[in-house]
This record gives sequence, C-alpha cells and structure tokens, in this order.
Amino acid sequence: MSEHNKLQNLILKLVGAAGVSGAESGASKVAAEELSRFMNVNTDTLGNVVGTVGETGPVILLDAHIDQIGMIVTGIDDEGFIKVDKCGGMDIRGLAAQEVIVWGKKPLKGVVTSIPPHLSNSDDAKTAKKITDLSIDVGMTAEKAKITIRPGDRVTLSGNAQCLMGDKICSPALDDRVGVAAILRSLELLEGRKIACKLVVQFSVQEETGGSGAKTGSYNSEAEECITVDVSFASAPGIPEEKCGDLGKGPMLGVAPILDESMFKTMEKIAIAENIPYQVEVMGARTGTNADSIQTTKAGIKTALLSIPLRNMHTPTEIISLADVENTARLIAAYILNREGKNE
Amino acid sequence: MNNTLKDLCSLYGGSGREENVREYIIEQIKDFARYSVDPLGNIIAFKKGANTPENKVMLAAHMDEVGFIVNYITEKGFLKFTSVGGVDPAVICGKPVFVGSNRIAGAVGMKPVHLLKSDEKDKLPGIDEMYIDIGSNDADEAKQLISLGDRVYFESGFYKFGDGFIKARALDDRAGCAVLIDLIKSEPSYDLWFAFTVQEEVGLRGAKTAAYSIAPDYAIVVEATTAADISGVTGEKRVCELGKGAVVSYMDNGTVYNMDLYNRAFELAQKNNIKVQPKTRVAGGNDAGAIHTSRGGVKTLSISLPCRYLHSPSCVIKEEDLKDVRQLTKLTAESFAND
Repeated sequence: MSEHNKLQNLILKLVGAAGVSGAESGASKVAAEELSRFMNVNTDTLGNVVGTVGETGPVILLDAHIDQIGMIVTGIDDEGFIKVDKCGGMDIRGLAAQEVIVWGKKPLKGVVTSIPPHLSNSDDAKTAKKITDLSIDVGMTAEKAKITIRPGDRVTLSGNAQCLMGDKICSPALDDRVGVAAILRSLELLEGRKIACKLVVQFSVQEETGGSGAKTGSYNSEAEECITVDVSFASAPGIPEEKCGDLGKGPMLGVAPILDESMFKTMEKIAIAENIPYQVEVMGARTGTNADSIQTTKAGIKTALLSIPLRNMHTPTEIISLADVENTARLIAAYILNREGKNE
Repeated sequence: MNNTLKDLCSLYGGSGREENVREYIIEQIKDFARYSVDPLGNIIAFKKGANTPENKVMLAAHMDEVGFIVNYITEKGFLKFTSVGGVDPAVICGKPVFVGSNRIAGAVGMKPVHLLKSDEKDKLPGIDEMYIDIGSNDADEAKQLISLGDRVYFESGFYKFGDGFIKARALDDRAGCAVLIDLIKSEPSYDLWFAFTVQEEVGLRGAKTAAYSIAPDYAIVVEATTAADISGVTGEKRVCELGKGAVVSYMDNGTVYNMDLYNRAFELAQKNNIKVQPKTRVAGGNDAGAIHTSRGGVKTLSISLPCRYLHSPSCVIKEEDLKDVRQLTKLTAESFAND
C-alpha cells in the first residue's frame, strides 16, 4: 500500500469512530491502538490518551484533540422526538434534514427534523432553526425510545467520508482527527531514528467544549515545549484572505502573542531546509486551540501551533487535503530530529 | 413493492433527466402492460383488466425529483448552482452531493461559523450565495469533470430505521411510482391507464401532455405529500401524520378537488378497513393541477403517502402507509371505472 493510501486509511478509520466531547471512548480506542504501535499508552483521569517514549533530553509534548463536535440529548418528548443541545460549536445552519447517529445503549439512526418548503414562509428560508427548536426523529414512540436513549447520550453527524478530486477528503469529524493522524504519521517517520528528547503524545479530550483535557494532560506531561496540531480555516468563497490558508499548501505555522516565537522560527527554518511547504497564520491574541491553555500550564510551556487547513469547519462536510496532513507530519518529525540544536 | 421502492430511490432523475427512472419502470412493467413513451418522456401504459369499464381511469405518479443544476464554474473551481424544483436553503447548507452523470462527489460549502458575526450565525445563505466544492484547484481542473447543466443530487442512502420507518432521497414521488408498478403487476378488475410523468417538480409539465393523450374521465394522482407531524407542531399544521394511512386532499395550491371523489375515498376506506386521513392544510400541489383542467376537464383525486422532510436529502415515510395508499388507490380506481 502506498504511503498516501495508508494515511488516507488511517484518517478514514479515525473519522469512522465516534467521540463527541466528554464521550470520546470510541475514537480514543482507535487512536490508542494506533499510538500503541509506537509507545506505551495510558488513559489519564479525564480520558486523554497519553503515550510516552524516550528517556533523556527535553520533554516535548505533541497534542491533538480526539473529540469532535456533536449534540447531547436533553430529553425525549411525548411522541418520541429526541431533544438536543449543542456539544461543542456545531454550525446549526447545516443541521436540517441531516442524518445523525444517537449513541444510546446501542447506536440508533435518526434524522434532524425540518419543515419542507411547501409549509415554510419566507423567514424560515432565511433563518436556521435554533438548536432547541430542532429535534431528532428516530422513528420510535417515546416509550420505545426511552429504552435505548437517555439524556446525556451524544449524537454525531453521520455521513460517509468521500474522496473528492485530487487528494481531498470530505467527512464529518476531520477536526481534529487529521491532527491525530498527523502526529501518528510523524511517529512513523521517526521510527528507527535516534531522538534526543523525551516525547509525550496526548490525544486530548474536550477541546470543543473548552479544552479541559489539554489542561490536565499537559500538567502531567512535565513538558518544556509543546506542538499543538489542530485545524484552521482554508480559503473558500466569502472568507477574507487574511483569515485563511489554502488547501494543499502545507501546514499553517501559527504566529500569535501566546505562541513561542523561537519555536516558530525554528520550524520555519526547518521547513525551508527540508523543502516542506508551509503557510503562516497570524492571530492577534489567543488561538482558539489547546495551545491557549497548554501555554500557561504549571510554570509555562513554550508552545507552537501547526494547523491543517480545513474547509466547512464544524459542518457534516469538512474538507482537507492529504498532502497537508503528510507535510504536517514531516515538519513535526523534522523538528524533533533537529531538537538537539538550540532554538533561535 | 418495498424492493421496487428501494431500487427506485437509488436512481437519479431530476426534472427533465428522468431517463434512468423511466428505463427501470419500463423494465418492470413491459411484460404486464402495453406502453409508449410520449415526446416529453412520460410513460403511458395501458393495463387490460378483467372487464372493460364505462369510464377511462388514469393513475399518475411522477418520476422526477428535486435537485440542482450547475450554472457556473468559478475561477477557483467552485460550482455555482440553482435548484431544480423547490428546495429550502436550510437542507442544502453543508450537505454532501453528487454532480453529473459521473457522480463526482462534492459538498455544499459554508463560511465557517467561527468567522460569522453573532447576528449572522443563524442566517441561511440564499442558494445564489452557495457553491459546491468538489476539491478542484481551479476552473480548468473542474471543467475536466463537470459541464454546465450537470445535475446535482444529495448523497443520501436508503435505509430502514426505528419502528418501520424508511429514510431515503426522492421518496417524492418514487413511492407513487412503486405503487403504480405494483398495480400494473396485479390483476385489476377493470382496464386502467397509467402515466409515469416527467417534470412535475418544475410545473406539472409532463402531466399536462399525458392527460391530453390519455383523455381520461377520472384521474387519481398518487403522490408523497408533506407531513409535519414533528415535535412542536400541533393541530392542522401537522398536515398529515405518518402511520395514519393514505392522505386524501380536498384542496391544495393547484387543485380544488372533486368532493364526490373525495367523499368516496373515505367511504371506501372505512368500508374496507383502510387507514385514511385528510390533508389538513391547503399547501403544495401536484400533477392534479394540470390533469383536472385537461381537455374538457377531468374529475381528479389525490391519494398520498405521508412523508416527513419532503424535498430534503432525508425524506422519511412509514412502511405500513404504503400498503394503505396502494389499497385505496386500487379501490377508488375500480369504483371510478364502474361509475
């Protein structure tokens, strides 16, 4: 199998598992299995999947979040419709008539309710329904639904991952399973190589609901430096150029007040030396990723952010380019191999 | 009938591009009825029954479905599109789609919610602001695979879920087609005429010519109609409900129905233990609008399958209702034939 196909399969495997914030076990299990090929793996108190390799040298933390946006069951009405709230920053505009899976005692297929155009007025066509006005149709009476589903169960957007033109993949949950895939791929690239640092990998929980996992995971890590791998906006119609990167043009290296400048500079230098395409993403304060909380852990952790460009964030049809994931992995691996050298 | 419905829902046939559906139906009925295809693409079929009746009765269901059509390719390789038939922006945003006869996968793109101002977060873009992303890098690359005029359909599978429910694309009106195919394969008491019509979703165009050609005395339109029996909707606003049987309309936006036929449908249903319900809102419209004004006028009835989330990727019906629609269609057709 080509490297391209292997990476694609890894991503498809990761997005095929469920892991809405706070209920990540499905996706965590898959990620832990993959990670255990490279190191000893544990699960910490909050559920972060953590692996460690190497004995000596500085501790470097690699972080990507394992959770995905979704919904959470808040109740079941008299007719068996499932009422929900957002779990993470779901884009409600894409929800009407969306296929979902309700993760009750067993997974149940369902459809988000919508009002058809024959009955809607012109305002309905312009405004998305509030999450509390939507419900999920699982085709069951309340009595029957309550046997399998209860408040607190999570709901994922379902949808088959599709391969688009070139090396693009379209699927729910690419945010941030591609970050997880990039770290796993970097470990593969490092296999058999001597590294002069101790690596801690964490696939952290609950990023989409505030970043709790990254806080506790990084506390335990004893890390001096961290590379957070997440996704960021890829260019598409209607998005201001300065707020996005381009699909296929490589990882976006974050520049922000909270991010460590020396790490950025080293990464940029390595990217140029190794011929790895990259883009620079500038943010004015915080980054909206795990990097924000990891930076202030304990006495502070120098943190860099690598973002994989992604379209349609927090919708059922997120889109990425495989080349960006591969190049993110290459950059992480090259940075770690280079770590003996001092950052500038 | 259920396998036929599954087959029919796996076919793509936007208005004016019904050929795949037409071929499938012809394959199904050719050994059971005499048929022809008219200039617009309607299938007109004659089924010989046990008796030749007084009246000519026509049963109609439409083959086409709602979808989209590519009308521009941007410099960056995104596809602009417009709808073919009525589809609300709410069910289009962020959905996976297929484009053209090569079924190129794509998605309806959206500006990320993170970049919207707080008062924009629930605003739906108009269809003219939307675009399809097939992952092409520029217009030239897109043009290798896509032509203007290519049709676009929601990517959505057929599956059963819950207690006897079915979710699929295009149940409107492949459900009607499945019922008609089943009747053609049965042995009716009287001769019957069937029309599988084209272009219902863009203005009842096929039904107009089919009704002209058949010149019936009576017509029954077999449809999927909008059910709003969902959480938070009460009373007449529900229109009709899944699991409560065939839906019979007294009026919609295209037709004021013949009250004698309407009443007779309920009488026959009650007498034969068939579940039936009235459509409780004057909304939507169907081929009846064109058929009842054909030539010197045709007495027309609509019998519909209640269907949630009509014109979306995820239409939902209850399987048991299909049986009631089939039974009531058969009984009313025979009653009108012998009127």
